Amino acid sequence: MKNWPWPILAPAILFVLIGALAPLLMMHDPAAQDYGALLQGPSGAHWLGTDYLGRDMYSRIIGGARTSLVAMIFVLVAALAIGVVVGSFAGYVGGRVELVLISVIDIALALPSLVIALALMGVFSGENFAWMSDYWKMIVALTLAWWANYARMSRAVVVAELQQPYIEAARVMGASHLWIFSRHILPHVLGLVVVYASADAGALVLAIATLSFLGLGVAPPTPEWGQMLVDGMQYIEEYPALVIIPGLALTAVVVSFNLLGEAFALQKVPRAVSGRFLARKKAARAEEEAARSRG
Amino acid sequence: MAVQFLRRAALAVLLMLAATAMTFWLVTAAPGNVAALIAERAAGAGADGEMIARIAEDLGLNDPLPVRYARWLGDALSGDLGVSLRTGKPMAEEFAERIPMTLALLAGGGVLALILSLVMGIAGAVSNGGIVDRLLHALALVGASTPNFFVAAMLVIVFSVWLGWVPTFGVSGFTSWLLPWFTIALFPASVLARVVRVNLQEAMSRPFATTGFAKGLTRGAVLLREALPNIAIPFMTTFGAQFTLMIIGAIVVERVFGLNGIGAFFIEAIRFRDFIGMQAVLTLFVVFFVSVNLVVDLLAMLADPRMRRPRRA
Repeated sequence: MKNWPWPILAPAILFVLIGALAPLLMMHDPAAQDYGALLQGPSGAHWLGTDYLGRDMYSRIIGGARTSLVAMIFVLVAALAIGVVVGSFAGYVGGRVELVLISVIDIALALPSLVIALALMGVFSGENFAWMSDYWKMIVALTLAWWANYARMSRAVVVAELQQPYIEAARVMGASHLWIFSRHILPHVLGLVVVYASADAGALVLAIATLSFLGLGVAPPTPEWGQMLVDGMQYIEEYPALVIIPGLALTAVVVSFNLLGEAFALQKVPRAVSGRFLARKKAARAEEEAARSRG
Repeated sequence: MAVQFLRRAALAVLLMLAATAMTFWLVTAAPGNVAALIAERAAGAGADGEMIARIAEDLGLNDPLPVRYARWLGDALSGDLGVSLRTGKPMAEEFAERIPMTLALLAGGGVLALILSLVMGIAGAVSNGGIVDRLLHALALVGASTPNFFVAAMLVIVFSVWLGWVPTFGVSGFTSWLLPWFTIALFPASVLARVVRVNLQEAMSRPFATTGFAKGLTRGAVLLREALPNIAIPFMTTFGAQFTLMIIGAIVVERVFGLNGIGAFFIEAIRFRDFIGMQAVLTLFVVFFVSVNLVVDLLAMLADPRMRRPRRA
């Protein structure tokens, strides 16, 4: 923890704090329009100025942090849970069940997550899904697009861990499957997956913003950075601050989360590789080993 | 070797079939009633139950899902991907109009990413911990973290609005392609630069590099002649993965710069609930992703004797 790049992690920490405390920090209602104060520069009343509807940019940035943070936490927790359960189950049970589950995982990974999320947003726009709000559609779409990576990783770890002699020893001593899994295997799975998730948080914030930027995520009255940015694009010539402010906020948070992932990875191996790259390499190696031992 | 090739290719075909079946199932599950949608588009609000029933019967929408998928697949293989619900044009026609735009984006972006990442990665390795290395590391981190729509917006602000060098919108001539290309190249270039840098560093500590130094070669010569060929495989596989991800960049870039490519069509299809258009584009994407991965795997097999491992007993 001593060598962590604390100053650069500040945006991620700030993001979480601001998102959590958003209602206390906002000085105005982020949706309140004021036609007497359109496109103003920073002032005492509006720290970051106002947008083309006279809405307070500072409050909208704060509100956007909360929107992203809440969605990110929901998606990460749900995707992680589904991925760990499906992946571990496949790896532990093996046989035909494993084959079927791997096929499902492979199909889910045949397209990039964001394309799947986009397609699901399209599917959810159908009348059969009218009962869901746009915000929840986005969360469900992202979860369904995101779990497969965690499943593949979890399975690889389980398969590799099952090869270890101590598992056999535990079995000989009469330990139940549940005991072996929860006591010996699950901690390994969670250890790797949580590290990966910390690096993934940045990608997820980015995905939420990208969906909203494309008009398929968080809908207008709710403040969200990607949607603020696309909204500001029409004033890009006269007042580029509407684009630059949410863009910088977003970039700072993603850089920060990516560094966090890298820092996590560096705790484990003393080499300058990013968390995501490392996790992938580790998963690939585990998979290769499993294939080799199976013959 | 040939058997391995064939097995890998067969796997790719199976994956394409499974993935298109999955998207077909999802997309047909969504609208509730495609016939009602079509009738509504054709006759406005005047569509009655009888008309809807007739359209459903004509299109065979009452058949069970596997039958419909088989029929769709047969049509798709013969080049008929249906008629877009939004534009009313056959999807084959839409594709013919739009694929060149997206391909030009991907090709230009891909070449730019290749050059940028090699230059950045090698420059970092030459500097080896020096100021250039650290600067490039920071640059790659920022490049891999900046949303591509923000990159695009900043490029427009700087080069179009402030400097007035290129048009804000659309493409006309070579210079107008530069901003879109750079936008989609930045992320893959940043990721690839790290791959080049890390793998070069690793290769420099291997025995063959030591041999090179012992023969009296300079660091630069060892780097380029001994270490560089050894990063070919990680570079190639990462490049393949990043190249497929560039389609997301293309979707965003086409929207920001108002280009009429596949990505823009996809977003419009989603917004206008054009489920036939969506299914066609998703099929195109699946074919694209699976074949790029296939090509990368086959090239890796060719390049690395270790990947051509025989079946173990």
